[in-house]
Amino acid sequence: MVIQKEKKSCGQVVEEWKEFVWNPRTHQFMGRTGTSWAFILLFYLVFYGFLTAMFTLTMWVMLQTVSDHTPKYQDRLATPGLMIRPKTENLDVIVNVSDAESWDQHVQKLNKFLEPYNDSIQAQKNDVCRPGRYYEQPDNGVLNYPKRACQFNRTQLGNCSGLGDPTHYGYSTGQPCVFIKMNRVINFYAGANQSMNVTCVGKRDEDAENLGSFVMFPANGNIDLMYFPYYGKKFHVNYTQPLVAVKFLNVTPNVEVNVECRINAANIATDDERDKFAGRVAFKLRINKT
Amino acid sequence: MAKKTLEIYSVELSGMKDIEQTDKGNGKEKYRGLKNCFEPKKNHRKEELTKELDLDDHKLSIKELEKKYGTNIITGLSSAQAAELLARNGPNALTPPKETPEIIKFFKQMVGGFSILLWIGAILCWIAYGIQYSMNTSSSLDNVYLGCVLALVIILTGIFAYYQEAKSTNIMATFNKMIPQQALVIRDSEKKTIPAEQLVVGDIVEIRGGDQIPADIRLLSVQGCKVDNSSLTGESEPQPRSSEFTHDSPLETKNIGFYSTTCLEGTATGMVINTGDRTIIGQIASLASGVGNEKTPIAIEIQHFVHIVAGVAVSIGILFFITAVSLKYQVLDSIIFLIGIIVANVPEGLLATVTVTLSLTAKRMAKKNCLVKNLEAVETLGSTSIICSDKTGTLTQNRMTVAHLWFDNQIFIADTSEDNSNQVFDQSSGTWASLSKIITLCNRAEFRPGQENVPIMKRVVAGDASETALLKFSEVILGDVMEIRKRNHKVAEIPFNSTNKFQLSIHKTDDPNDKRFLMVMKGAPERILEKCSTIMVNGQEQPLDKNTAEAFHTAYMELGGQGERVLGFCHLYLPADEFPETYTFDVDTMNFPTSNFCFVGLLSMIDPPRSTVPDAVTKCRSAGIKVIMVTGDHPITAKAIAKSVGIISANSETVEDIAKRLHIAVEQVNKRDAKAAVVTGMELKDMSPEQLDELLTNYPEIVFARTSPQQKLIIVEGCQMQNAVVAVTGDGVNDSPALKKADIGIAMGITGSDAAKNAADMILLDDNFASIVTGVEEGRLIFDNLKKTIAYTLTKNIAELCPFLIYITVGLPLPIGTITILFIDLGTDIIPSIALAYEKAESDIMNRKPRHKKKDRLVNEQLAMYSYLHIGLMQAVGAFVVYFTVYAQEGFKPSALINIRVEWENSNVNDLEDSYGQQWTWYQRKYLEWMGYTAFFVGIMVQQIADLIIRKTRRNSIFQQGLFRNKVIWVGIASQIIIALILSYGLGSVTALSFTMLRPQYWFVAVPFAILIWVYDEVRKLFIRLYPGSWWDKNMYY
Repeated sequence: MVIQKEKKSCGQVVEEWKEFVWNPRTHQFMGRTGTSWAFILLFYLVFYGFLTAMFTLTMWVMLQTVSDHTPKYQDRLATPGLMIRPKTENLDVIVNVSDAESWDQHVQKLNKFLEPYNDSIQAQKNDVCRPGRYYEQPDNGVLNYPKRACQFNRTQLGNCSGLGDPTHYGYSTGQPCVFIKMNRVINFYAGANQSMNVTCVGKRDEDAENLGSFVMFPANGNIDLMYFPYYGKKFHVNYTQPLVAVKFLNVTPNVEVNVECRINAANIATDDERDKFAGRVAFKLRINKT
Repeated sequence: MAKKTLEIYSVELSGMKDIEQTDKGNGKEKYRGLKNCFEPKKNHRKEELTKELDLDDHKLSIKELEKKYGTNIITGLSSAQAAELLARNGPNALTPPKETPEIIKFFKQMVGGFSILLWIGAILCWIAYGIQYSMNTSSSLDNVYLGCVLALVIILTGIFAYYQEAKSTNIMATFNKMIPQQALVIRDSEKKTIPAEQLVVGDIVEIRGGDQIPADIRLLSVQGCKVDNSSLTGESEPQPRSSEFTHDSPLETKNIGFYSTTCLEGTATGMVINTGDRTIIGQIASLASGVGNEKTPIAIEIQHFVHIVAGVAVSIGILFFITAVSLKYQVLDSIIFLIGIIVANVPEGLLATVTVTLSLTAKRMAKKNCLVKNLEAVETLGSTSIICSDKTGTLTQNRMTVAHLWFDNQIFIADTSEDNSNQVFDQSSGTWASLSKIITLCNRAEFRPGQENVPIMKRVVAGDASETALLKFSEVILGDVMEIRKRNHKVAEIPFNSTNKFQLSIHKTDDPNDKRFLMVMKGAPERILEKCSTIMVNGQEQPLDKNTAEAFHTAYMELGGQGERVLGFCHLYLPADEFPETYTFDVDTMNFPTSNFCFVGLLSMIDPPRSTVPDAVTKCRSAGIKVIMVTGDHPITAKAIAKSVGIISANSETVEDIAKRLHIAVEQVNKRDAKAAVVTGMELKDMSPEQLDELLTNYPEIVFARTSPQQKLIIVEGCQMQNAVVAVTGDGVNDSPALKKADIGIAMGITGSDAAKNAADMILLDDNFASIVTGVEEGRLIFDNLKKTIAYTLTKNIAELCPFLIYITVGLPLPIGTITILFIDLGTDIIPSIALAYEKAESDIMNRKPRHKKKDRLVNEQLAMYSYLHIGLMQAVGAFVVYFTVYAQEGFKPSALINIRVEWENSNVNDLEDSYGQQWTWYQRKYLEWMGYTAFFVGIMVQQIADLIIRKTRRNSIFQQGLFRNKVIWVGIASQIIIALILSYGLGSVTALSFTMLRPQYWFVAVPFAILIWVYDEVRKLFIRLYPGSWWDKNMYY
């Protein structure tokens, strides 16, 4: 190696570095004179300025191809996913009946989540629609905007509405309500004109045993067609997402129960191997009682 | 220790006759100047060398020898004795040069270059998994896979590099080929044929003409034996051997035969005195293997480049690791960032590409007769600034050829080109008729039978070099020499010997009417002249007066002064009355006259330069390469050859020449006036390193004559001290240490000894110096093209790195995955970067100076800056536009992406909202992320096409260079596109690779940026061409 041949003393190295940082003979700072630095900085200023402008321009052109209201492509959204509320870190609903703090956070979240569903707000903002059919609001050449949404009243959730409920959605009694909602997808006609509903089961046999009985609101876990299609955030300003509440009545305490809920709809496949949330949702339920 | 090494040199130096003669008495002390140069060299070797150095076996009588080695020259050793000695001293074979074990070579490939960085990456992957696992036992195995992929990449590229290296090293066989297979030995009073490897000291061996001498032997009885010592001492003439002790020096004395030299004729019996590594040749061989192999310039450059890239990778990695930690990212995430940064920064495929590029050039060079043993040596020739060339065999044809004739008071020039066919001198004179007759008849050399169809110059001849030259010369001019000899029947002959210094033969003439005998004689001119009383001029005999004698002397001096070997020719017709047809000549009693001959002419011979050499030397000159001749030959011959090939150009003079011209003493000449210098080994040994340095700096044209192998080494070192890249050419064993020491050793393929070939990095298959010029050209081209390859490869690293930096700081979904990066580095980019190796030179690379080892780096600041901060950033911007396009058109506008990272990657968030209020499950997002990877990948790929095109030239416009001249570039571009299409559409469904299908229009989003890159680079080049030397040129030309 060359380096071995020309071993420099430590002092020399320091000296060389010093000279590199500031060379008093040539007035070079870090190997460049002042003018050279000025030039190079100016150059990069201009160059990057130009590059930024170019980026901005192309981005602007690109954004012109994108509509504000509907996305250009929906390749990945053929099957809407399902999700639960209360939303927890690991999709597990753990309730220590005796420890109010453990479920209070869920309750707070749910209160907040359900607030827009209050009947008064719904009545004020949304239409009463005819159930059993899609609430279509076509543009017909002229932008029909904003579009109306159908009412989903909190009272429809029955025992899970949390209205005047001393049990706090059942959490204080160990009979928790879990809310299931289907992801919004623009212009998706869920159910293909047939009624659809959500069903829940224990994942394995022992889960089914431990799960016990449950009730669903609206009855049968029905989701009405009138909430579809969704027209997007910009058009469908007050859109209210339909919910299905499941109240678990006698879950075996102190056991983790794997629950899986899925939507039964003609045009929603629920057997995607890779996407575990396509048309279904799996979560854990544990009621701790002492 | 110093003394020991010192003594090795003196043994070898004493092989040079002149030194010995002129410098007798000073003994070993005189080499003190060399001592210091060698002291730091490997001193730990071979204690036993001391023993050999006072080799005195040649002085001993046979009785003493028998006693010393416990043998008997009649019965030989007994088998038991031999077996014991064999067990003690080992086999009679040279220890092959110490090879690094294959496994170590293999592992070196695994840890060299970027491998360390990638190993770190792989280990970080596994650590990351470890952390994940400790937090959640069911965590995904992605990181384990990535670590394995990285390890696989390292191992595969390592295997590839190892294979390439092994392939090129295995071209050469080792020293083993030098060992004679069998030896005829007397043991247990019986003659036996045994493998030469089993010879031991004290064995009595018999040698016949054509054999290789199986060990160092002391000759006991000799019948007309001559040996070829050229590979050992550089003497090209056959050396006669006898059983008498003739010289103090073992190398000079005639009663020693050296291992691996060839016995040309005669027979001899000898006693083995040294075997294996203890032979003289073994010592030189070990001297050669003791010279450390220098790192090749390209290896230094690549190392420099690896340091730069590794430096950038590590500093950015650490910087962002710290940033990430301080941004409150988890350590796990920070580690994953670090892995990404390392993988993005390291051009995984580059070193393999460089290897392929070098081996492609090596192949191309092999077609042009330059066989490259060490791949990296391909480039070394290109950066060579000094060539130290051996004379014999490299610059010259290594065969004596008639160069001049003198008769009728005139010097004629003979054709010395390789085929000798164009002899144009005046052949009408009667003198020529007589001279040609003498040349033909007074010659014992003969063509070996069965070569009628072989060109005359290529025929094999039995006879010594001068006679061969004369035979071929006369065959070319006169036709069938054998037939002429038959017609002029030889009746008596005295062969040449060193006491007579003449050769004489008596013939019947082919004229049936002339019954006289013709006596012809040739020999040393002065000896011949002594025997003459008349001289032939224009076919007429004239008395030899003072004037003609003077003319003879002038001609003799002139020819001799050109380093040519001069022979005189004379004849005498014996009067028919005194010597009737029946007369019997007796060569012992000399019953015939040996004076009053008629002098006919002189003929001079030289080992002529190859016809291609002068042109090649000129080309080297114009390429800024200094050509130095280093030879063991006589200074006068050396100088003459140097002049004729242009190593000393026509109008330059040495100090001595000036002194002669001005008639002043050498000391008075102003040394600055002399451009050329002829330095003998004698003068060299008195020089201090400073003086040598001065000599090498001040004289552009230098010839070293009478040098020993060690001095060759010193010359090479002296050149290397000046930061020159030194090429050494040579063929003999005596050259091998210098070949090894040189930055690039070039051995001759045909005449070269195996030792030389073994020590060399490159072999000229046709022994043609001109091939070196081709090598230089290829070497320079490959350096330029490697620059382009590296610039091309480095560029996209920024485009691969930026995504990680943006990902960390802005929190976008990851724009490109680690695996995807590997697919660029090891997939789409490989063939294009190799294709740049096929690029033609931009300008006349043979008209510029060789690159400065320290200043003209392969990867310089400008290259790094331009690749990283200009084109690289443009590519990054272009690729980001593609990425944003895909996301925006799928629902996530750029504004929605900022700081989305944590939610985006959380697999429990399955209702993430996009810009339109739609909600996405984790897998849907993941798939979109892969689409983003693919889009980013395609963006880089498209811009790399533009990058590839702009890298074709560094200064000229692409249109000057020709867009379509290098077809391989287009193969490269096609490969890029095809690989990308396969990855996207073919393997889009394999989730592990994280590629997806992509809408056709996304393939074109980056095209404007690709065009921009091309235009920008054309502008850059235009300004460089318009304003050479300007600020722009200095900062933008790489």
